[in-house]
Amino acid sequence: MPLVTESIAPSEEDFAALVEVLAAEPRRRGELTDLLREEHPFYNQRGASTTARMRGWVLVGLARAGITDADVPFVLGELDTGIEPRVVAAAARALRSYPRRDAAFAPFVLRAIETIRAHDEPLCLDEYGAYAVAADATTAVGELLETLRWLGAAARGVVPAIEALRARPEGLDRARRRQLDSTLRAIRGDAGAGPTPACCNLAEAVGLAVRPADAREDAAPLAGIRFEDHDGMPVTFTDGFLGHPTIVVFFYTRCDNPLKCSLTVTKLARVQALLEARGLADRIHTAAITYDPGYDRPERLRRYGADRGLRLGACHRLLRATDGFEALRRHLRLGVNFVASLVNRHRIEAYALDARGRVAAVFERVQWDEAALVARAEDLLHESTDPPATAGRPPSRVSRGTTTVPSALAPVASLAAVFFPKCPVCWAAYASALGIAGVQLPYSPWLKPVLVALVLVNVVSMGLRTRRTRAVAAFAFGAAGALALLGSVSGLAGTPVALGGVGLTLAGSLASVRGWRVRRGAGRQVAGRRGRARNPCNLLNQPRPQSSAS
Amino acid sequence: MTKKRQSGKARGSARPTRRSRRAVPPSGRAALSVATSARRSIGERVAALTQGPLAATEQESDLQKVIAILRNGDEPIPVRLAALQMLQAASFGAPAFEPLRGVYMTALRQVAQDPDAELRQRAFGLLARARDGFAQRRLLEGLRDPQKALVPPEKALQLLAYDIHAEAYPIAREIVSKPPSAVAKREALRLLAADAATAPVFEQILRDKSEAPELRQTAAGALRALQPDRLQAYAREALLDPLENEELQATSLTALTQFGDEASVTGDTSLLTRARRLSTEASDAVKESALQFLDRYDR
Repeated sequence: MPLVTESIAPSEEDFAALVEVLAAEPRRRGELTDLLREEHPFYNQRGASTTARMRGWVLVGLARAGITDADVPFVLGELDTGIEPRVVAAAARALRSYPRRDAAFAPFVLRAIETIRAHDEPLCLDEYGAYAVAADATTAVGELLETLRWLGAAARGVVPAIEALRARPEGLDRARRRQLDSTLRAIRGDAGAGPTPACCNLAEAVGLAVRPADAREDAAPLAGIRFEDHDGMPVTFTDGFLGHPTIVVFFYTRCDNPLKCSLTVTKLARVQALLEARGLADRIHTAAITYDPGYDRPERLRRYGADRGLRLGACHRLLRATDGFEALRRHLRLGVNFVASLVNRHRIEAYALDARGRVAAVFERVQWDEAALVARAEDLLHESTDPPATAGRPPSRVSRGTTTVPSALAPVASLAAVFFPKCPVCWAAYASALGIAGVQLPYSPWLKPVLVALVLVNVVSMGLRTRRTRAVAAFAFGAAGALALLGSVSGLAGTPVALGGVGLTLAGSLASVRGWRVRRGAGRQVAGRRGRARNPCNLLNQPRPQSSAS
Repeated sequence: MTKKRQSGKARGSARPTRRSRRAVPPSGRAALSVATSARRSIGERVAALTQGPLAATEQESDLQKVIAILRNGDEPIPVRLAALQMLQAASFGAPAFEPLRGVYMTALRQVAQDPDAELRQRAFGLLARARDGFAQRRLLEGLRDPQKALVPPEKALQLLAYDIHAEAYPIAREIVSKPPSAVAKREALRLLAADAATAPVFEQILRDKSEAPELRQTAAGALRALQPDRLQAYAREALLDPLENEELQATSLTALTQFGDEASVTGDTSLLTRARRLSTEASDAVKESALQFLDRYDR
């Protein structure tokens, strides 16, 4: 039978045959492991059940061939977060083919039993895609118990937990209860060495990749990505991810695996609490990005985050990519695939990005530890903070047109307009003040056009900012002040109007400058239309989310 | 064919006799013995399974025997249907059922291939709700190749819609473009209502006055979830169009009342004028929707 190539998605039958061939050829073991990547093109446009059948078969193939260190994260990932009995059973079987009985495996196996026992079922693992109709076949819990028995003495650390399981055997039929008893006897009776302290190192190392600064991939391909946040505000990658470390997780609201997206976002809320407790909430930002940008609209994102205790602000956002999701997926090599517009399967993945938006650490497949993720992000604060590598990248339209330039011009222009001498009286006042200091200052009527230009620059820049900030009151003050000043300069109004104009321009510019400062700290993002807290980075200022039920 | 005829016969005698209704067995064990006895009438066995203490049994062994009845193709269809009903009820709450869930699922997979259409369809329904891969595979096979279909296409689409992660979107799109029946098209559209990529199709159907109002209503509901801004744009056009279907106008008014952008609707003089007119001149349903709309926006 001709083997398929990656460019053509094979039929399920061809896929099954390919796996058999790869499992039988030791030199092609790497290709078999590669088939466990969620983003593998073979899984594109398959349903979730089909994907589970295919992955389960790959794991059965690995069980026959014997797994290596490269396969361990995939196998432990299935045990840690899997909810399909077929795939979990195959992962348990695959683990038994590992050459070493490592005590670090035992907690994963035990967690899998806890998860799967509520929907355990008879399985046919030895024939591709077959579903059991007879009751006497193996089950996921049966395979997991067999794996605990295989671990023997290496599972002694979880014996109390197994005994607790025996005491409340809900979900385990008679055959499994008997198997549980026999497993306990086997573990207790194994004379081999028990758990070693090295166990925990493996668990921590699985699924974690740390990249030193000089080995990080440039984030330039991400520059063009546009996002929309939970309030419907536009955010570019440059706006949201440069200038500070960012903790990024991925999720989607329609995920039906409670151990993946829902738990990930709940854990991100705990990350926020840790950042707040350490006073880092305004220096390390967080972002949860949906895999399903077409469906996860701002109101869905907001509700999903609030229901899971996430506290949202300008530094801590839920995002959907409105343009460039594919670039993001390619650059981060996201472990996800789709059927039509919907996710069919994804891995757990959390990233620590440095101040240049480059990936510094990846936590994937197994549940990540919140404190470890925060520690990685905190390390990034101590790295040298060179200016973000924006050279060679076209700035985003939002940055170019409405954020960066006006942000810089607005306070300068408005303060210059306020303190610019506008009439002979002003000149006299400046002259008398400076005269005391012995400085001569001649009055020059031709400077009027300069004042007009400054006033106009101030008004235009404030207007552009107002389109994003919606701070209409500040703009109104500034505009009224400008009118008064222009009236005074043109001779239509007298000195009292000019002084009023100064006051209004000053008030408008002060409001603008204050807002500008807050937003700089918030990664140059603006306050939301629903009136975010004074300092959007300070989570303690954020209103506590209400559950949807309340 | 013979088997089906037998099934029909058996169903004809399914009504519990007066004697059996009077004589509800006093204990679960006795009820089980009635339910499993081939010498008892079908009515007595159905009653024992669905009305007596057996229906609330906490015994794992009792439940296993009922599963055996369900699996047994030689048992009369009404008895197997009653066994299925009893097991379905037990699956919701009985703690004794938990260890048997897997066995129950395998029994359902067997029954989903039974010659009796009703049993088959009910088994598929239960499996589909559990997002069972076997059921999804068979349902999709039936949609792709009607010769292999175990349930009608509209039913298959309805059942596949229980799991948005099923591989049903491509085939549902095909059915929308070449529907075998109007009801199949409706079910295909309902299934696609969660697919963001189908939003343009929904908008096209919504704007096509030759489509059935029911399908256009479905399209409006889907568009509301997928692209609310597009629905709002359509709703305005529909209300200003005097030739638009009244049901769609009522839907448009409701959509704008509940989800409309306050600033743009409040400032839309022609829309408000039209709503005032509809509130006095249209059918009762439209009038009511128009009044609710005005209650929110006309200040």
